[in-house]
Amino acid sequence: MKILAKTKLVDFLKSLQGDSEVLVPLKRNGDLLFGTFDPEQPDIELKGKTAIPPKEYVFPQREKLFTFETNGNKVDIRDQASPPKRIIWGIRPCDLQGIKTLDTIYLSGYSDNYYQARRQNLILLGLNCNECCDAGFCHSLQTGPFAKDGFDLMFTDLGDKFLVAIGTEAGKALIDKSRGLFTEAMASDERKADELERSSWATFERRVDAKVAKARLPKFWNDACWAKDSASCILCGGCNWVCPTCHCFNVEDTATGARTSVRIKYWDSCQFGGFTQMAAENTRQTQAERYRQRVFHKMSYTPDKYDGALGCTGCGRCIEVCPGEIDFTVTLGRITQK
Amino acid sequence: MKENIYEPRLVTIKNIRDEAEGIKTFTLTFNDPALNAAFDYRPGQFGEVTIFGVGEAPISITSSPVNKGYLELTVAAVGDVTRALHLKRVGDVIGFRGPYGNGFPFAEVYNKDILFVAGGIGLAPLRSLINQMFAERDKFGKICILYGCRYPRLLCFTEELGKWSDLSDSEVLLTCDTNPESDWQGNIGVVGSLLPKIEVDLPNTVAFVCGPPVMIHFVIQDLLKMGFKGDQIITTMERRMECGLGKCGHCNIGVKYVCQDGPVFSYQQLQELGEKI
Repeated sequence: MKILAKTKLVDFLKSLQGDSEVLVPLKRNGDLLFGTFDPEQPDIELKGKTAIPPKEYVFPQREKLFTFETNGNKVDIRDQASPPKRIIWGIRPCDLQGIKTLDTIYLSGYSDNYYQARRQNLILLGLNCNECCDAGFCHSLQTGPFAKDGFDLMFTDLGDKFLVAIGTEAGKALIDKSRGLFTEAMASDERKADELERSSWATFERRVDAKVAKARLPKFWNDACWAKDSASCILCGGCNWVCPTCHCFNVEDTATGARTSVRIKYWDSCQFGGFTQMAAENTRQTQAERYRQRVFHKMSYTPDKYDGALGCTGCGRCIEVCPGEIDFTVTLGRITQK
Repeated sequence: MKENIYEPRLVTIKNIRDEAEGIKTFTLTFNDPALNAAFDYRPGQFGEVTIFGVGEAPISITSSPVNKGYLELTVAAVGDVTRALHLKRVGDVIGFRGPYGNGFPFAEVYNKDILFVAGGIGLAPLRSLINQMFAERDKFGKICILYGCRYPRLLCFTEELGKWSDLSDSEVLLTCDTNPESDWQGNIGVVGSLLPKIEVDLPNTVAFVCGPPVMIHFVIQDLLKMGFKGDQIITTMERRMECGLGKCGHCNIGVKYVCQDGPVFSYQQLQELGEKI
């Protein structure tokens, strides 16, 4: 474990720039979002989680898969250029878990080349949560408030300094590069971090019993809760856009000229009726069925298919963002308490 | 860099046959000779077809793996990609990637009597299996093919249906739901209405059912009433798909992805999955 004085954070982040884009949590127009670190305006926000997770750096909202150029019967297929190197500082434990889950989905079986290229060029420097955020329930899924793995380096805010845990060789190399900025942690620093973790746990109110919910879900397949709890859905897809593990996408070709076209992969929402629309019919016609699919996919299908991988990281963003105030922990509460 | 899983391979249209009203069969070969020689698949598998500038759509393979060196797709013009495919001519280049999916059981049903029940263009994937079974005829018992369409001009593979019925220990029965032009001498009624006309050695028979979802639904009900067990009924699931690789999420049902774990399922497996056919 290492120590970095808070006054040295900007110097450390400067040391990371060069061939990498460094992303940090920044407050812009009232929203907390990841943005490019600017040493001239180093107003890094140390409280709260970003409004959207950093999944766009591995799975962009829109990504060009191919450019096609046809000339008679000659077809030139080009895929996209290599993604930039990126380092994210300040990624929260819930979002580290989100990327772990996406890694499992996108890199197992057929490995998605685009995801893999972005992921290989990404370094994750995490920041533990000293208190619960709005709507968070990561503690009950054991994904937070302090991360156990999934990071290259993990920072804990001890007040005037950070305790820094090393997760990977890549993370260690970043410390070695600016060795002068770091000092060795003392036992008292680690004790302080342990205390902060305990006190953070005590700040959580919302909880989900994922194990019990998963075991009881099949019995609730035909329950009235799906229609009842999704009745206020306005079909905005917000719950999907802000979810660190939602990975569904659509693919569409668009002509860009008489002989050229592009193939785009972009985020899709299982809450939209069109998600399951086929030529002749739609297999999930009601919002109740679509809401049920979302909850089952998160809590049951993903862990069953991917060896326990978590479909929900407990970040709570789907609850915060929903204009219909749909709270899937309320649905899960009905299921675990009934 | 390793192979891009989403990259379509170039294929050339070698032949186009008018199969039925609004339905054409395309013969394709890969432009890369090595790939063309190596390409192998199982009946029931499918590929993603690209029409450059238009898009991509999942289409089942109707040729049989016993016929090396080309593949055939039988396609109804119903969406953007399939309508654009219908406008293509012999010699045109399109894209194809695959094969994807599990395919039909084959060695698992050796020595069984085989009952095919097909509706409309649903005969296309079954044709792949039928031809592979006839190529290894001694490994199967009686082969019975029941095929129905909405009206006569929609019947596909009419020449082959005749050939199949001439082969030993096989039976082919056709039907049309309606006969608007009064040019059909055969049975009139849904394909399930042919079931009482055949003799079935029930414990030793496996049924392969493929067609539109509503037809599959009713045929399965008929088969269950006849005494078929869930694991004796093999069918295919139709779902919206984008990637064919288990990533895009559209075809997810329970822990299964129809594109990877299907599209072929036994009725017993479908019941365990919960969602409708």
